[in-house]
Amino acid sequence: MAIYILKRTYQLIIVFLLFLVLSYLLFNAIPGNAFQSLLLNPDLPKEAYQRVLETYGLDKPLFERLQLYIINFFKGDFGYSYNYYPKTPIDLIAERLPRTLMLFALVNVVSFYTGFIVGKILAWRRGSKSETWITITSVFSYTVFYPWFALLMLYFFGYKLGWLPIGKFIYPEKWYDAPFDSDVVFITMIKFTVVATFIQFLAFIFTRNIESLTNRKTARLVSFVLLLLGSYFYWGSGSALEQRTYAADIAYHMILPVFTVTIVAFAGTALLTRTTMMEVLKDDYILTARAKGLSQKRIRDRHAARTALLPVVTSFIFTIITIIDGSVLTETIFSWPGMGQLILQSVTQEDIPVAMATFSFVGILALVAHFLADISYAYLDPRIRIKSQG
Amino acid sequence: MENNEFKNRSPKEVSKQIRKENFKRNWLLFKQSKLGMTGLVIIAFFLFLAILQPILFATGIWSRGVYDPVVGYDSQKVDLLVVECPKEYPTEKYETNQDCPAKDEINIRVLLLRPDVKVGDTYEAFLQPAPPSSKHILGTDSLGRDVFSQIMEGSQVAFLLGLLSATLGVGISTLLGTIAAYFGGRVDAYLMRQSDLVLMLPSLPLLFIISAFAELKVWHLAIVLGVIGGLGGSVITIKSQALQVKVKPFVDSARITGGSKLKIMFSHVLPNVAPLALLFMVFSVTGAIASESVLSFLGLLNIDMSWGLMIYLSQTDGYIFSGLRYWWLILPAGLSVTLLAGGFYLVGRGLDDVFNPRLRKR
Amino acid sequence: MPKEILKVENLNMHYETLTGNVDAVKDISFTVLEGQSFGLVGESGCGKTSVAMSLLQLQADNAKITSGSIKLDGVELVGMSESELRTVRWDGISIVFQGAMNAWNPVIKIGEQIREAIREHYPKKSKSENTKKISELFNMVGLDESIMDRYPHELSGGMKQRAIIALALSCDPKVIIADEPTTALDVVIQDQILNEIKKVQDLLGLSLIYISHDIAVIAEMTDQMAVMYAGRIVELGPTDEVFKNPKHSYTKALLESTPSVVGEKVKLKSLEGEPPSLIDKQSGCAFAPRCPNKNETCNPTVDMELIEISPDYFVDACNASNS
Repeated sequence: MAIYILKRTYQLIIVFLLFLVLSYLLFNAIPGNAFQSLLLNPDLPKEAYQRVLETYGLDKPLFERLQLYIINFFKGDFGYSYNYYPKTPIDLIAERLPRTLMLFALVNVVSFYTGFIVGKILAWRRGSKSETWITITSVFSYTVFYPWFALLMLYFFGYKLGWLPIGKFIYPEKWYDAPFDSDVVFITMIKFTVVATFIQFLAFIFTRNIESLTNRKTARLVSFVLLLLGSYFYWGSGSALEQRTYAADIAYHMILPVFTVTIVAFAGTALLTRTTMMEVLKDDYILTARAKGLSQKRIRDRHAARTALLPVVTSFIFTIITIIDGSVLTETIFSWPGMGQLILQSVTQEDIPVAMATFSFVGILALVAHFLADISYAYLDPRIRIKSQG
Repeated sequence: MENNEFKNRSPKEVSKQIRKENFKRNWLLFKQSKLGMTGLVIIAFFLFLAILQPILFATGIWSRGVYDPVVGYDSQKVDLLVVECPKEYPTEKYETNQDCPAKDEINIRVLLLRPDVKVGDTYEAFLQPAPPSSKHILGTDSLGRDVFSQIMEGSQVAFLLGLLSATLGVGISTLLGTIAAYFGGRVDAYLMRQSDLVLMLPSLPLLFIISAFAELKVWHLAIVLGVIGGLGGSVITIKSQALQVKVKPFVDSARITGGSKLKIMFSHVLPNVAPLALLFMVFSVTGAIASESVLSFLGLLNIDMSWGLMIYLSQTDGYIFSGLRYWWLILPAGLSVTLLAGGFYLVGRGLDDVFNPRLRKR
Repeated sequence: MPKEILKVENLNMHYETLTGNVDAVKDISFTVLEGQSFGLVGESGCGKTSVAMSLLQLQADNAKITSGSIKLDGVELVGMSESELRTVRWDGISIVFQGAMNAWNPVIKIGEQIREAIREHYPKKSKSENTKKISELFNMVGLDESIMDRYPHELSGGMKQRAIIALALSCDPKVIIADEPTTALDVVIQDQILNEIKKVQDLLGLSLIYISHDIAVIAEMTDQMAVMYAGRIVELGPTDEVFKNPKHSYTKALLESTPSVVGEKVKLKSLEGEPPSLIDKQSGCAFAPRCPNKNETCNPTVDMELIEISPDYFVDACNASNS
């Protein structure tokens, strides 16, 4: 086992190194460089341009630069951004990441949850008319041309009805005399969301062993009400109170992107759940459960859905990889200044240090997601849990 | 009974017969799936559109000059009433002077070249984009080009790109997946790490970079999408399927009877992975159509006409925020992308029902 | 005379498939008395399991019961709504399925899966009462109580099958169906399980329907038995009598193909041919192509039909005269 892990780690390092080299070469294959626009300025002497190149080390041959970059990378030095000079790529990521995380973590949780429920119902109502219609609707929400759909949503809710803001993540006029940065508020919001989700999850786990079904339901309801009360008090006291109006502003700006992306993203989970659940429904233990006289709902939720959850969760974790990737389009359309826009900007403006840093971030995220997928699989499937212990 | 049927026939004929019957059975199963049939109808509709356009041009029903999706020109003639806008705003009709002239009216100040025109005269003008009429079923765009013809051209692009990249991608991943499963060891480790590497690259930014150093035409894009898709995650899935096939008894018996590794791989393992590969192919057509549209939408492709480009143009010209007044510029292209991608997806669902007995109803 | 607990009359059931209807159960009637065990024997694919599934109304989606009635303690089950059926299942009739391996949900603990059944039918019972009940059941079938907290994959095949028996007993059903409960187990375990079932049945006075392709097991386990061929019952009577003096040529053939431990050595005879495919509907006697005793009196174009030749003893009309 130890040898396997070592071997795997060794392979991972090689893959990551290759990933760095490949990305670096790709960025340098783009013709021109970040400072070429300086040449267009007739007042600027050629030497100045040359000096800028020297300052950033762009005059050195490609191979030397690559070598330097990789060595520095493992020392933890990612260089400076070309476009936001005094800032390092890490500063930029630290600034942009919370915004993307807040938006997409919420989108993913909401769309996963709705998708799972819709998929469950689809598999259960197999053969009925409503199944066909819901499936066709979900297929088209899955394959809808996303930018087009997002623009139509923006037009309808933001422009025509005027209910929701068009683009931007805050109203600048509101933040004009704000005592703190938007990032501070973002981080508070993320902390709150994570803690609230965790508490809800714990409540769910602990009430699982209550014998009577009605008692279990009441216990869950009570825990939910307590959570609501708790969050009311949290936002009503201390530093959170000061940030409340600003957090509300951000939340208001989040509604439309979350809603739009959820409509598009839930369908993938729904269709996958439908397939895996339909396979599970053919298993013998479903027949046992039916023979036992269990209610349809219970067979569906406890026996079929629980097993069907396994591949769905794995695919959900893999979507973490595509969060940043997917955020490129969404953030462009909704003018949400997050990681996606940062990647896009750095690539189009050839801000190589930032582009490399964001790419490696995405790469590491992918590796972590793989790891998480394995772990969660083991947690949900006792068959694997035992094996890994022994 | 079956034995009698196959007596006195060469093995080739028998296998042909079996294949024919299998196909018949699969088709029966596929026909059962409402979703699959819906998808097939959608695909057939767009295929019809794609084929119809060249026929219309060849038979001379449509003239190139008017209906060509890229360089054609035609727009509706309308009579406009010449009005003079008041100097002060807001008035009953207009709030600012940008609002004047309104529909069917033309501002006298615009007609500087025709000093003889008076308020109240009618003036003949070309309307662009023109709304749908009997001549242009879906109207014309802001350059006076026929939208319906553009949709047809777009569906040609979508079919070409989708099928080409999907075939290429699935070909690559099936081959690599089978090789990884069959040879195992170092080959397997190398191939798996390679697909890890491809999975790590964010796809949209990657396509950005590629489009920055190479001018992408439809063919190029199809190859790029195919290769990226073929090296990525689908290799892993195909490999796990091939691993299941590899331990089946008939592979062992082929080995015992002395088949070479390559021969076993190609004649026993590959055919049994093929259904899954076909499924992948259908699903990846969906992905390829969407990718092309997104890239065109962002203006990164060097393509004359495509659905994504149509939406890109309607967005850059600002029509998308004019609501449904210019609906023929906004809805047909977006719906076409959605429908055709959805059609392929639905066919994939139907095939899934055929190949995966556990999904079948009976 | 004990009470008639389960009465099946003229049951017909078919599966609708792409290539046509498969008549799996044709005109089947039998009665199970309280405390009695009833055996159902036949080759693979003769419709035994289809009968079992119809009794619980658990047939596949494409199966249709076209006519007939199933009465449990005088209550008609055919045509009952799903919610009414739920109260009958497990509480009235429970079943021990063929493959114990797959009958347990792999991600839920054994104890919880049993508790769940009790909870459904007796919601007022407390957790400790349920736990007590399960440990009693486990003792009865020779399992350790600690198994309650195990997952199915941690158990051996025999243990799983014992636990399934405990599961089947958990709601004190009136009738238990055992559908080839020992097929996947080795011989020693098979014997233990059979003994366990018998012991439990005697102890609780249950009615048992035992389904098997193994006529020897049926002889050991049952009081009354029926022989099935191609979806029909061809012979039905007290087990002793059927064994001593089989009337139908198919029953004879079945008996002759089974080795006997006692008595003189006889060469085993096997039955030529294969059972008919149920999809090609043929009129007339389904057994005629394989029947070793075809004679002038036998008319292969006439459908099989059961007639009563002595009290509670039925046999296919064609073979009634063979006695």
